[in-house]
Amino acid sequence: MSLDIADGELFTLLGPSGCGKTTLLRVIAGFHAPDGGEIHFGRRRVDGLPPYERNIGMVFQNYALWPHMTVRGNVTYGLRLRKLGAAEIGRRLTAGLAKVNLTGLEDRYPGQLSGGQQQRVALARALVLNPDILLLDEPLSNLDAKIRVQVRSEIRTLQQDLGITTVYVTHDQEEALSLSDRVAVMRDGHVQQVATPRTLYERPANRFVADFVGTNNFIPGICKEQTGAAAVVETALGPLRALRVADAPAVPAGERCVLAIRPENIALDAAGVDGIEGRVRLSAYLGSTLRYEIETAPGLVLRVDVRDPSRHEALPPGRAVRLGVPASAALMLRDE
Amino acid sequence: MVAPRRFVGVLPALGVVLIWAFLAAFLVYPLVRIFYDAFSDETGRLTLVNFVEFAGDHFYRRSLVNSLLLGLGTVAATSVLGFAIALLLVRYDFPGRNLFGYLTLIPIISPPLVGVLGFTFILGRAGTVNVLLEDWLGLARPINFVYGVHGVLLVETLHLFPMITLNVVDALAKIDPALEEAAESVGARGWRKLRTITLPLTTPGYVAGALLVFIWTFSDFATPLVLGVHDLLASQAYLNIVQFVDRRLFRMGIVISALMVVLAVVFLVAARRYVAIKDYSSLSYSRVPRRRLAWPGQVAAVAFLASVMALSFVPYLGVALASVGKGWSLTPFPVQYTGAYFERVIVETPKYVINSFLYSTLAVVVCIAVGVPMAWILARTRLPGRETLDALNTLILAIPGTAIGIAYVRAFHFDVPWLDVRLTSLWLILPIVLAIRRLPYTVRGSFASLLLVPRSLEEAAASVGARGLRSFADVTLPLIWRGVLVGSLFSFMTSLQEASAVLFLSLGGWETIPVGIFAFYIAGSANEAAALGVILILVAAVSVIVINRVAGARMGGMFG
Repeated sequence: MSLDIADGELFTLLGPSGCGKTTLLRVIAGFHAPDGGEIHFGRRRVDGLPPYERNIGMVFQNYALWPHMTVRGNVTYGLRLRKLGAAEIGRRLTAGLAKVNLTGLEDRYPGQLSGGQQQRVALARALVLNPDILLLDEPLSNLDAKIRVQVRSEIRTLQQDLGITTVYVTHDQEEALSLSDRVAVMRDGHVQQVATPRTLYERPANRFVADFVGTNNFIPGICKEQTGAAAVVETALGPLRALRVADAPAVPAGERCVLAIRPENIALDAAGVDGIEGRVRLSAYLGSTLRYEIETAPGLVLRVDVRDPSRHEALPPGRAVRLGVPASAALMLRDE
Repeated sequence: MVAPRRFVGVLPALGVVLIWAFLAAFLVYPLVRIFYDAFSDETGRLTLVNFVEFAGDHFYRRSLVNSLLLGLGTVAATSVLGFAIALLLVRYDFPGRNLFGYLTLIPIISPPLVGVLGFTFILGRAGTVNVLLEDWLGLARPINFVYGVHGVLLVETLHLFPMITLNVVDALAKIDPALEEAAESVGARGWRKLRTITLPLTTPGYVAGALLVFIWTFSDFATPLVLGVHDLLASQAYLNIVQFVDRRLFRMGIVISALMVVLAVVFLVAARRYVAIKDYSSLSYSRVPRRRLAWPGQVAAVAFLASVMALSFVPYLGVALASVGKGWSLTPFPVQYTGAYFERVIVETPKYVINSFLYSTLAVVVCIAVGVPMAWILARTRLPGRETLDALNTLILAIPGTAIGIAYVRAFHFDVPWLDVRLTSLWLILPIVLAIRRLPYTVRGSFASLLLVPRSLEEAAASVGARGLRSFADVTLPLIWRGVLVGSLFSFMTSLQEASAVLFLSLGGWETIPVGIFAFYIAGSANEAAALGVILILVAAVSVIVINRVAGARMGGMFG
């Protein structure tokens, strides 16, 4: 694989557990030696260098704060190893803690801090070294859902303020979409797609990405014809017009393929006469949306989201409905 | 795609080589040597004739059977006692529960050799109990409480039951309460839950403790000899080796000790196999709540624990009285008290105390120098041979001290090349044998604490600029020193108490406290032996208190 990460970019490695994203991060950090290939930070080649000579800052999944050292001890440890003067160390400590809003907690031990505070100490410890690159290994996975969202935006704001090149590892696609400049989706040690969050969501390069990022409906079919970006696919629901994703491998006419359609892009019409026939099987109230499971053909259940449910009375199970799928929202992908 | 980072550099490599060299020279080679001896004749030809002779000898066969029966009997007795006490301490609440928790450690403090002496003073033919019985009840002939196999069983049981208790307490504490709640939810209560759920879940810890009890009893020769029991394997090994007259008998001593090693290893491997498929420990933060006993239960629990503790206190009482009692015969208690025996063993001949502390301190230094790096290799690296290193470390726990002592006598009784001196004629051999014998405690203590330090803590140090040894010194060591200290203290305490291996190797002027106790007792100077015993008990008591303070009463992990 070859990845190019731009200066000042927040680049996320996203994938299910065991896909190799953490391993890749540790190769960048220098805790694992690559079997082959090269790693460059700017013009500097770093593979073969031990971690402490790469000038990285790393935040570990469990934070790895040294329990026998205070916040001060943890944050300044690397500075002391670099034999900086006491004044400089004090200055960087103050600045580092201010960046993560922990001023005043210098003399606490990690055991006396909340999860979110520990996380920020770990971040400060990495940042005070002015690293060339910041490496974050699932930094939010040990936090409560509420705090996670808050710390997420703090990290993003801090990263943009400092303009520091950052590699971020996560298995949470929502996290990846919300804070990344670009995302690499990984599976079984291979990169599936490298793209901005928006492209990833709207134009996934293959079925795995379409499935892993966000929610999708998949309708199997056979490609009937294809002209430019437009295609027609024969499915159990009849012929459907679809769009070919430019990045995705082409599907020749006559080949099997799948259509990927996001739930929010399917129009639900309770009274209409046009569109795909279906029957409500289940409805789930999610607050900002109402999610239906609609059984269309036998065994084919489509998820359909209705936004703004306050203006919409939930349909009872068994109710017959019609579904509309715009061609621009049905993506034709190779069947894998 | 990636290979783990290996260690680089000349110094670490040299360290690994030195560790292996130490183990090869002072553990593997002596053992190989006695096996060679056991399988060869006077001319050095390989043969099975020694084992044929062993099998053909009625007395040896009986000794083997007796040793196995005694071992199993002790395991059975300690299991009943140990389980009952552990369950009471962990699951029930009654007055004095905490106190009894501490008191269970008492039997371990006393070295077995001292324990058996104490028993003879109180329960012997002319001991306190028999004298009182004669005075009060007009008993014509003294009751034989301790002399014979039943005495050995009694002494070993009272000395060793804490090994079971500590391991079971540890195992009980690790059981996820949900497992028992699930059992209750499907209808298993009381005895049924205990028998089908709780006890099986303690198996790994229990088996480790039981194995140690068995091997300890199986290889102890001092206790049976003091109690006049000779038809046991360990006793036979000792008696055959210390007589240097008959070469046939001497060789049979070696054969017996080789056999003991084989049996110990077989039991060890069997136990490991059994435990390996049964790791139930769960990281559970909640605990099964203690149940307050109703008053009849409270009375019964306190009475039971108090009588066990009183019995285990007997040897202390006996040794303490004998160490200061003058003219103690045919009276229940000494009639006069004196400090003369202490003066004799401390002031007049200080060598026992000095030697003991010197050798044990040196032994612990070696234990730390070899054991901490060994633990680090086991916990942190993927060096080839790790499994072997781990197996050797466990093997040491299983090998009877008797066999190690005999192996050293055979292995190092020749002139070292270029030096023209025999290792057996240098006192250095004693710290070395002690270090080998007690190495596992240091390794285990350090290993257990290393496992509790996540590797990412070291990596975090490396990521901010700490290289190799620097991150070890700044991050790892401050976090593991307690474990290292506890392991080392345990190594130190048990080195002071080591009798079996040292008895074979000690020459005039090198006597340690246990050797002195044995020599004084055999020579009929029981009071001097008792005085030395008191010193040993005091040192051990201080060590146990410190260990408890540092380790927070979690000694269970040190055994097995």
